[in-house]
Amino acid sequence: MCVGLSARVVSVKDDTALIDAGGAKRSISAGVLDDLEPGDYVMVHAGVAIAKITETDEQEAEDIMGELL
Amino acid sequence: MSEQTVTLAHGAGGRQTSELIEKVFKAHFSNPEFTADDAAVLPKIDGRLGFTTDGFIVSPWKFNGGNIGKLSICGTVNDLSCMGARPKYMTCAFVIEEGFSLSALEEIAAAMEKTANEAGVKIVAGDTKVAGKGQVDGVFITTTGVGEIVPGADTSGKYAKPGDAIIVTGDVGRHGCTILLARDTYGIDSDVDSDCAPLWGTVEDIFSVTKDVHVIRDATRGGVGTVLYEIAEQSDVGITLDQSAIPVDERVKGVCGLLGLEPLYLACEGRLVIFAPDDKAQAIVDKLREGKYSGNAAIIGHVTEENKGRVILETEIGTQTILPQPKGELLPRIC
Amino acid sequence: MNEMMTKAREIITGYKGRPLRIMEVCGTHTHEIFRLGIRKLVPQGVEIISGPGCPVCVTAVGFIDEAIWLALEKGCVICTFGDLIKVPGTEISLAGARSKGADIRPVYSPLDAVELARQDRDKQVVFLAVGFETTTPSACLAAKTAKEEGLDNFSLLTANKTMPNAYNALVGSADAFIYPGHVNAITGNATCIRLCKEKGVSGVVAGFTASELMTALAVCIRGLEKGEPFFKNCYPRVVKDEGNPAAIRIMEEVMEPCNSEWRGLGLIPMSGMKLREEYSGFDARVKFDMPKITGKPNPACRCGDVLQGKCKPSDCKVFGKVCTPLHPVGACMVSDEGACSAYYQYSGLI
Repeated sequence: MCVGLSARVVSVKDDTALIDAGGAKRSISAGVLDDLEPGDYVMVHAGVAIAKITETDEQEAEDIMGELL
Repeated sequence: MSEQTVTLAHGAGGRQTSELIEKVFKAHFSNPEFTADDAAVLPKIDGRLGFTTDGFIVSPWKFNGGNIGKLSICGTVNDLSCMGARPKYMTCAFVIEEGFSLSALEEIAAAMEKTANEAGVKIVAGDTKVAGKGQVDGVFITTTGVGEIVPGADTSGKYAKPGDAIIVTGDVGRHGCTILLARDTYGIDSDVDSDCAPLWGTVEDIFSVTKDVHVIRDATRGGVGTVLYEIAEQSDVGITLDQSAIPVDERVKGVCGLLGLEPLYLACEGRLVIFAPDDKAQAIVDKLREGKYSGNAAIIGHVTEENKGRVILETEIGTQTILPQPKGELLPRIC
Repeated sequence: MNEMMTKAREIITGYKGRPLRIMEVCGTHTHEIFRLGIRKLVPQGVEIISGPGCPVCVTAVGFIDEAIWLALEKGCVICTFGDLIKVPGTEISLAGARSKGADIRPVYSPLDAVELARQDRDKQVVFLAVGFETTTPSACLAAKTAKEEGLDNFSLLTANKTMPNAYNALVGSADAFIYPGHVNAITGNATCIRLCKEKGVSGVVAGFTASELMTALAVCIRGLEKGEPFFKNCYPRVVKDEGNPAAIRIMEEVMEPCNSEWRGLGLIPMSGMKLREEYSGFDARVKFDMPKITGKPNPACRCGDVLQGKCKPSDCKVFGKVCTPLHPVGACMVSDEGACSAYYQYSGLI
């Protein structure tokens, strides 16, 4: 389930955000996230921003693997 | 003044038909061989001939990077080019929907002229029919082309051999992605443009390095993935691709990411897939990278004896998977 | 491959302990594991199995029949995620219905279906609401928007499902779970933490990139080596322990739990979501006075057993003969990552 794509928020107006994923732009719902601002990164699924996120997975892998090793 | 449109009278064969041909088609397709008679009479061509036909329906008729006119020339030019045939002459048949804008038709004809000139092919005969409103979607074009196979060229989807390197002449999936966005079904904006281009020059570049090329195929409908499966089957060989070597434009990646699509299955209209002996592959790629339409050509994989009929991907984590087989209709995968 | 990925790879490929069954319960995990070739990477004895987390695979046959009834009998425009279009119903799929004149449109978001209803008030637009907690908020937003705007030509045909009771049904079928990152982004981790504490069920929350999946798998294998029940959120850049409270609120506002039929698993109590009474005007079953439609899966198809790991695809009589990726009989043959489709395409390869 649940194809998600991380994207950058370009602008926000009311409950709608314009996002950019590699130059592909789309209006999506910001209805379940408060305080979105341009420049934030979000996880987008089925036209809805479902979570605010950090941009890449690198630091995350480093932290988790660091604990493991 | 209201916009002038094509009417059923334009297709009735009378004076208005002549006017349409004079004003739109003859104005753009003029060359000594363009005929007003029932058939073009052409000079003798030496050598073997390549001969092909293709129908074009695309909605919308105009898209970022081209229109159906450009597409209809590129499609047939590229089919000839893949067989090593220098495109010489073409015919085109239009089926136009009643009410289609005359200025749009003009724009289409102008694109055909420009593209044909670039490819060095002459449009020598044509036909125009007008269909009632709703019977066709805007305009359909069928082009037929004949070309002269250059000496020494011998390519076929049957000739792939184990050990061959596989080259694509540029990033994949741009045309399909552009059309998907132009239809505006999914509300996505991007400045991604079609790769639609006439590729005889690209084939000449390849032949300037070597004529010892086994397969040249243009990856149109179904994309590079479909072409690779076709060739694996025709030649009864396996194919292994290096996933990370396949060039994909960032914008195409973005759209595919949103919609869960595989770029290898999006159509190209200006990309060739080439199977050549491994020791010649790098020289071909080096030459291609200087070309107008092949700046990011790359070696993407090899032909294998094993895994006959299959396309295997070497993945980014250093293991293998299979490229899912083409299944026709492209549908976004969301959930 | 970067350094972390190499290390994760070493942990995964170096495993030499007892046989392990690791179950992922998310269609996109299945897809990415397939795309990355992870099954070929894991050592013999480590089995990665696909649980019932693909909405396409768990959607009951009758749901497709219901959608086709709305399209052909009631003339509704059916908006759906592309995933569902080729899934066979009792007689035909939505693609088959389309060739009989049904208006079937793939959309990216339920909110696009609302927009379509807005633009064409003469048409009845029905969105096929499938999916888990990740997807359900989007359907709820759509219903809420339609209600606020008084769009009386929009409705949902719901088959939304929730994971907690499915996990309960699956306890014991694997040594550890790879939890679906985007579900947990909404729900948070409480259910998984409770499963670990109360029932000793191990699992990790995973993301979807190569790095994220490899890291999660490495954590999983290390945890299983140690032998103590564990839970680890390996996708903290997206998943917070508390999830997304606003998304949970809107789900609770618009929908309520109900019993739900899962293809292969049967009826699981309170494992589905349906529209609340206040939203019954947007419930296609109520609105169009739909008769009870019970799907009849092809009796020879064993997708149910395949989904539960009770048989291999090749044990099914129709597999590879009448049921192929181009002409799927069961849902597991529809998407590339479906168990039967993958088995079909890989056969003889590994």
